[in-house]
Amino acid sequence: MLVVLVAAVATLSLRGRPRARTAVSLAGGLGYVLAVAAIDWYVVLAPDAPGIATYQVGAHPAPFGITLVADGLSAFMLSMAAVVALASLVFSARFLPRYDRRTFYFPLFHFLLLGITGAFLTGDLFNLFVWFEVMLMASYVFVAFYGGARHTRAAFWYVALNLVASAIFLLGVGGLYATTGTLNMADLSMRLTDPAGYGIDPGPVVGLVGLLLSVFAIKAGLVPFQFWIPGAYSAAPPPIAAMLAGATKKVGIYAIVRLSFTVLAGADVPVDLGIVAGDSPLAFVGPLLFVLGAASVLVGGVGAVGRDSIEGVLAYSSIGQVGFIVIPVAVAATASSPDLRRIAVLAALVYALNHALAKGLLFLSVGAVRDAAGTSRFEDLGGFAGRAPALSIAFFVGALALVGIPPLSGFFGKFLVFDAVVRAGSAPTLAVLLGGSLLTIAYTTRAWNGCFWGPAPDVVENATVDPVEVAVLVALAALVVGVGVGFDPVYRFADVAATAALDAEGYVEAVAPGGEIA
Amino acid sequence: MTAFILAVVIGALFALGTFLVMRRDLVRVVWGLSIVSQAANVYLLAVGGVERGTFESVPVLAGHGEAAPETADPVVQALVLTAIVIGFGMTAFALVLSYRVYQEHGTLDVTKLGDRQ
Repeated sequence: MLVVLVAAVATLSLRGRPRARTAVSLAGGLGYVLAVAAIDWYVVLAPDAPGIATYQVGAHPAPFGITLVADGLSAFMLSMAAVVALASLVFSARFLPRYDRRTFYFPLFHFLLLGITGAFLTGDLFNLFVWFEVMLMASYVFVAFYGGARHTRAAFWYVALNLVASAIFLLGVGGLYATTGTLNMADLSMRLTDPAGYGIDPGPVVGLVGLLLSVFAIKAGLVPFQFWIPGAYSAAPPPIAAMLAGATKKVGIYAIVRLSFTVLAGADVPVDLGIVAGDSPLAFVGPLLFVLGAASVLVGGVGAVGRDSIEGVLAYSSIGQVGFIVIPVAVAATASSPDLRRIAVLAALVYALNHALAKGLLFLSVGAVRDAAGTSRFEDLGGFAGRAPALSIAFFVGALALVGIPPLSGFFGKFLVFDAVVRAGSAPTLAVLLGGSLLTIAYTTRAWNGCFWGPAPDVVENATVDPVEVAVLVALAALVVGVGVGFDPVYRFADVAATAALDAEGYVEAVAPGGEIA
Repeated sequence: MTAFILAVVIGALFALGTFLVMRRDLVRVVWGLSIVSQAANVYLLAVGGVERGTFESVPVLAGHGEAAPETADPVVQALVLTAIVIGFGMTAFALVLSYRVYQEHGTLDVTKLGDRQ
């Protein structure tokens, strides 16, 4: 099975050379979705699914060989990325021809996808670093895509920030290797569970985990690492912004979840930092994520209300929404009972899915609006509802999903998040979440009024909306509704993913590190 | 002794890199970034053991039994090779990008860049 996957990844990197790149690229996107569906089926959905599959690259055994691991969590994240990727690929195919000289767009898009795929599937920390870099290099170019003054500046800050982050990531990885003598995540988990048995002094692990967390938080755009997001998101072309918000950002979330629960959950490392104390690094991770998540919800929400263009609102809203994903993760990290932990991770995953779909939809709508009207500033826009009803409805559905109105996908995401927080019994967090939801209503309403309501200025009056772009939007909107209405299978998939995320022992067993070197 | 010197060098590199990243000139920022990533590489190498490793201190050698020759940990060296390649590409890209910023904005001064819209 994973041979299929590796083949998909390999062709992904080779594709794009030919001139007929649009067609090839679309076929590749479709192939990618099929490959991901195959993985989903094989790993999770099939009646006799093993729940986890591993592939040792080059047949070198773990922990020294490179391991690819697909479990429920990876499969869930991959499916999410695949949906967003296919939508934005189709969208780009229509969007792109308006900008000539952009021969590198599709190959880079696939490299971005390749990096994301690799990050979801890799079984060791250093390869996670490498895949991050693959993903980031592609995204750097996209941020600088239009080549205007504003875009190069945004790209420069994005690059500079990520170079520093990469250096920190290396420090964390190197430190973990020095402390534990392994880079394989399963092996790491095994050794940290029983540090004495392996003759390891686990003391520095907590600090190193802090370093890694800060790196992942940068990727996920959590406060206080959020400052690059508005510039980068509004500088990138809308389909790429959809990818950045829908898939790249989720890699940061995935890494946090993976590191926290698969690697660290069983760790027997005493933590005592004065304020927090416990016998696992999670005791340190949990409160930290609480603070970061709550700050993100507030900063993102407040920031979004005051923007003057749709991209600005959406970029800030991304910061806020990531807070909604991270808070349940924090609940899970501090949870005492395994049941609550599972529910909280489940909530985070469902919300992440909702955010990927809804934000992808919204960013693509911005692309359509910009294509049609040539601007995305509120003061120049208005009255789109009359001109392009389908586009408006799609945007409206996305906005409602962000707010969390039933029966859309957002409702279940929000519901589960609140459920987890209520069960954890944390009143201040609940207050923050409620405040964040109110802010969401405020800024989506504002975006809606500014762009789609009111009198139509000339640019809108003369605008023609591309039918294929709208078709993509309507399809995504239908998916958002579909996920909400037919929530049951999605819930079961997310449940499998959450269980897999917490099943460190199963993960270790499947990867089977520590085998003899052939 | 070697370990001590290495530690000092790594510290100094990080300090220098951080100092340069804080400068107003974009090219210096790029140099700072490149120095920080080199410092991380040296740190990785130092992790591998300054002393000669044996099969006890170097996990990879365990499979070869005690007969293995004395050596430093090859895993970190592989890591550093990868990191150097990545860092090289990034530095090149950042330099090109800063040239582009200069073309677009006519300045490399960070404070002036911030003011313009």
